[in-house]
Amino acid sequence: MRSRKLSLVVLIVLGCGVTAAVLSQIGLGGSDKVQIGTGKVSALTRAERASDALPASVLSYPFAAHNFASPTGAGARLVKNDGSLELYAVPGQAGMVCLIEVDELAGTAGGACADRRVLLTGSIYMADRQEDGSRQVVGLVGDGHTYAEANGRRTPVENNVFVLRGVEGSQVRIGSATADQTVDLGD
Amino acid sequence: MGSSLQRRRALAATFVAAFALTLVPTAGAESQIYWWQHNMAPGEQGFSRTTAHNHTYNELYFGPNAGWRSEVWEVTPAGYRHFDKYCVGNCFNSHPGYYYDYPYCANRDGSTHFVNDCMDRW
Repeated sequence: MRSRKLSLVVLIVLGCGVTAAVLSQIGLGGSDKVQIGTGKVSALTRAERASDALPASVLSYPFAAHNFASPTGAGARLVKNDGSLELYAVPGQAGMVCLIEVDELAGTAGGACADRRVLLTGSIYMADRQEDGSRQVVGLVGDGHTYAEANGRRTPVENNVFVLRGVEGSQVRIGSATADQTVDLGD
Repeated sequence: MGSSLQRRRALAATFVAAFALTLVPTAGAESQIYWWQHNMAPGEQGFSRTTAHNHTYNELYFGPNAGWRSEVWEVTPAGYRHFDKYCVGNCFNSHPGYYYDYPYCANRDGSTHFVNDCMDRW
């Protein structure tokens, strides 16, 4: 009798553990693993334009050879013009997708490439520390994301990208009409 | 008269040769890989503080399976931080060579991941 009760208690404890683990993986209980969309980036599938060509300087960096699916940057799409800032989405090697930023006026460029699965639960982003301590955050998100937000300011996602300037703190929220995710920028 | 002309030509040739020699080490040191095949622990910093340079490029490369947070930045000998970029995955930052500084890179994921290389260019 006592053995049966003990077995029942063990089963209940195990059941609770498994349930908690499953719930945490699907985004309940405060987890940041909420999934939005399928990781697809529709901006990469639109018809090519002359302006989609990556600058030769970007293609000359070691980063291009390390990461781009094509050494010529084939498949890249210019997804945003924001002042002198240009953002490109680029197909990467081995299932990666890349976000490239170019500011011709400032003479700067940057890039981030990561596995496409990152887009299910977050963003492929770059966060640049500014002289005033704030950060400029540019991010690539999968289809389904509609906004990015930081410090109470919300900006729409267009062509799978967003730009947030003057970001204080270390978190950005991205989301859709029905779900949102927290992107940790690091300290 | 002829001797004077020869001396001037020799002097000019010397200047040209000296100028050419100053270019050789610059070209040879254009790019250098500091770290490679390194399993970087959470928050561990890769860096080179041998000699400050006028850097224009800094890159971290996890590999083709990248998906973790990363950071590249530069620090002057006086300790001022510049060109600080946080990324997800493989990351680069190209910029004008405003500062003589040292290059840094780090895995910021919170767990140990293989970093294939970090490199910079000056």
